[in-house]
Amino acid sequence: MLRRVVPVTATLVPPPVTDVRPSRLAGLRGRFVGGLRDTPRRLAAVLAGLVALGFVVGVVGFTGVRQRADLIDGVTSRSGALVVAAQNLYRALSDADATAASAFLSGGVEPAAQRDRYQNGVAEAAAALAVIAAGRSGDGARDGAVGVIAAELPVYTGLIETARAYNRQGLPVGAAYLREASGLMRQRMLPAAQQLYQSVTAELDQARGGGAGFPWIAVLLGLVTIAALVRMQMWLTRRTNRVFNIGLVGATAAAVVLVGWLGVSAVVIGTRLDASDRDGSAQVDRLVQARVAALQARADESLTLVARGAGGDFDKDYTAVMTRLIGPDGHGGLLRDAAERAADEPTRAAADRAAGRARDWLAAHQKLRQLDDGGQYTEAVTAAVGSDPGATTSIFNQLDDTLASAITRNSDRFEFDARSARRGLSGMDLGVVVLTGLIVIGSAAGIQRRIAEYR
Amino acid sequence: MNASRLMSAAVALTVTLGLAGCGSGGGGGTLPAGTSAVTPVRPVGVQDPAEVPDGANAGPASCDPRASLRPAATQPRPGQMPAGSTMAQILHRGRLIVGVDQNSYRFGFRDPLTGELTGFDVDVAREVARAIFGDPSKIQFRATNSASRIPSLQDGTVDIVVQTMTMNCERWQKVNFSTEYFTAGQRILVRRGSPVRGIADLGGQKVCSAIGSTSIRNVAAAPAKPLPVGVPDWTDCLVMLQQNQVAAVSTDDSILAGLAAQDPNAVVVGPRFSDEPYGIGINREATDLVRFVNGVLAQLRADGTWTRLYTRWLTALGPAPQPPTARYRD
Repeated sequence: MLRRVVPVTATLVPPPVTDVRPSRLAGLRGRFVGGLRDTPRRLAAVLAGLVALGFVVGVVGFTGVRQRADLIDGVTSRSGALVVAAQNLYRALSDADATAASAFLSGGVEPAAQRDRYQNGVAEAAAALAVIAAGRSGDGARDGAVGVIAAELPVYTGLIETARAYNRQGLPVGAAYLREASGLMRQRMLPAAQQLYQSVTAELDQARGGGAGFPWIAVLLGLVTIAALVRMQMWLTRRTNRVFNIGLVGATAAAVVLVGWLGVSAVVIGTRLDASDRDGSAQVDRLVQARVAALQARADESLTLVARGAGGDFDKDYTAVMTRLIGPDGHGGLLRDAAERAADEPTRAAADRAAGRARDWLAAHQKLRQLDDGGQYTEAVTAAVGSDPGATTSIFNQLDDTLASAITRNSDRFEFDARSARRGLSGMDLGVVVLTGLIVIGSAAGIQRRIAEYR
Repeated sequence: MNASRLMSAAVALTVTLGLAGCGSGGGGGTLPAGTSAVTPVRPVGVQDPAEVPDGANAGPASCDPRASLRPAATQPRPGQMPAGSTMAQILHRGRLIVGVDQNSYRFGFRDPLTGELTGFDVDVAREVARAIFGDPSKIQFRATNSASRIPSLQDGTVDIVVQTMTMNCERWQKVNFSTEYFTAGQRILVRRGSPVRGIADLGGQKVCSAIGSTSIRNVAAAPAKPLPVGVPDWTDCLVMLQQNQVAAVSTDDSILAGLAAQDPNAVVVGPRFSDEPYGIGINREATDLVRFVNGVLAQLRADGTWTRLYTRWLTALGPAPQPPTARYRD
C-alpha cells in the first residue's frame, strides 16, 4: 500500500533539489517524508515480529529437546532401572516362596543349596525394594505396595525362621508357621509385587511415548517463521529491486535446518524407542512373566506334596500355570509367544529350549503325581526334590536358568536401543540455540541494513 | 537495540526457560503411605469369627454313640478276605487308603526330621493294614483335616479315617464308626501365667478350635459365650496362641497335650467339660469293613498291642490306662 503512495524508484534516492514552488514542494515533501518515515517504522515492526517469532521457536524447540532428553533418560535410567528392580522383586519373592516350600519337603535340615537360594531370594528382594523405594513417584497405590512389601518381608522371614527352628526340633507346629508364611507371601506380598511391576511398566511406556512424540508445536512454529521470512524477502525484493538480502537468506536457511533437524530426529528417535520396546522391554516382560509362572508352578508342586492328599487346589493351580506357560498342547503359551516375537536368534533358541524343558517338567510332574496318588509318597517326594537329574528340581532349575539368561540378554538390548535413541538428541539442544541465534541475528542484520538506508 | 544485544538476550532467555522446563520432578521428603498400619499375619483359612453350624451333637436321642457293629465270629486271615467284601477290594487294590492328620502331635503328625507320618492314630491304621495284607506298610496316607474327614469318607477318597475323630449321633447319620479306641475330653490350653482356669473364664475372649471339629461347637455352645475362632489344623491354633491372637485353644485333652509338648510356655488347664470317644471312621455302606475293623481292634485290646502303642506315643498323658471297652449293637 505504501508502494502505491510513493513511487518505488524514488524510495531510496535522496530527494533532488528542484525549483518547485515551496508550497507544492512542501506538500510533496511532507507526503514523501511521511512515507519514508513510515517504511522504517514498518520495517522495525516486522523485525521485532521476526525476532520474537524466531525467539519463540528457539524456546519451544529447546524446551522440547530438553524435555524429550529427560524422558528418554528416564526410559534408560529411572524407569528402566525401576522396571528391572520390580522384576527382580517379583521374581525373588516368588523364588523364596518356592524354595521354602521345597526345602520343607526335603525333611530334616534343608540342603545347603536350598538354604542359599532362599537367602539369595530374600536379599535380592530387599535390594530391589530399596531401589524402588528410592525411585518413588508420589503415586499412592505404588507407595502403598512398597509399604506392604517393606513391612511384610521381615515378618515373612521371621515366620520362615520360626518354622525352621521348630522343624529342627522335630515339632509339627513348624509346618503351621510355614503355611502361614506362604499364605502371607501369596495373599499379600506377591500381589503387591505384581502391582508394583505393572505400575512401573506403565510408567516406562508413558515415558517412552513422551520421548517418541513428534514436536508438533516447535515444527509448526518453525514453518510459520520460514513463511514469514520468505514473505518478508519477497516484499523487500519488490520494494527495493534487490533479489537477495544476505541476513534474511541466512535466517531462512537456519530456520529450514532447524525444522528439518527437529522433524527427522523425532522420527529416528521414535523408531529406536519402538525398537527398544518391541525387541527389548516387551520381550523382557514376556520372559519375566514366564519365569514367575515357572516359579509359581514349582511352589504349587511342592505345596501339593506338603499338603499330602489335601493339596488338590495347588495341583489345579499348577496345571493352570503350566498351561499359561506352554499352552494346553505344550507348544503354545508365554514361551511360544516369546519365541515367535524374539528379536534375535539366541533369544528364540532360549525360549524354545525353555519350552522343551517345561514339557519335560510337565511329563515328570505327571509321573510324580501318579506316584503320589498311587500311594508311593516317599518316591514322589524324591521325584520332586531328589538329586537325580530326572527329578523335577533339576529340570526346573534348567528352565529357570535358561529364562534368566534370556532376560539378561534382552534387558541389555533394551538398554542399547534406548541409549541409541538418546544419542539422536545429543548436541541438539546446543544446535537449537545456535540456529535460533542465526535466525534472530540474520533477521536483525538484514532488516537493520534496510532501515539504516533511510537515515 | 542492535543485533548482537538482541541475540544474546534471546539466548539467555532461551537457556533460562529451557532449564526451568526440566527442573520439575523428584520426590518429596515424606514416608511412603501404608508402612504404619500393618494387619497382623494370620493362618491361611482362618475364620474369625468362626462359622459354627447350629444343632451341636444333634441326632436321635436314643443313639448310643459308642455302640458299633459286632465283628464276625472268626476274623478273616490276612491276605484271604471274603470274596466280594470291601476288604477284598482293598486287598485287590494293594493298599489301604487312610485319612490321617499330619498336624496332631503324637496322634498323627509329619515328623519334620524324616518327613514320615507317625503317631498313635497312624500306628492303629497300620495295624488295620497288617490285618488285611499281613504287611503294615501296604498303606497310603492322605492328609485330612477336621472338616474334610466326613466328605473324604462319603466320596470314597479314603477307606478309613483314623484321626482323633469323636463318635457322635449326628456323625453316625453320615458315616460309620468302629468301636471306641481312645477316650478324650475337652479342656483348655492357655499361655503360662494366664488367669484362665476353665471355659467359664473365657467369656468374650477369642478361643481357637479346628473348623469342622466337635470342639468348636462345644466352644460356641459354652454358657460363658467365648468367641470361637476356626482354623484348618490344630497346629494353626498353637501359632495363633503364640502370636497372641487368641486367648486360649480348646479341644480334646489328647490334642492339647500334643500342642503343649511343643511349647513349654503353653499349659493345659481346667477340668474336662465334654466326653469325646474316638472311633475309626468308615463309609456308611461298608458295614463289612466296620465289623472287620472292630475285630482288629478287639485283637489289639486283647493282645496288648493297644497298650504298647499307647506307651510308645502317649505316656505324656499319664500311664497307659485300660483300653476302652468295646460296645456292640449287633
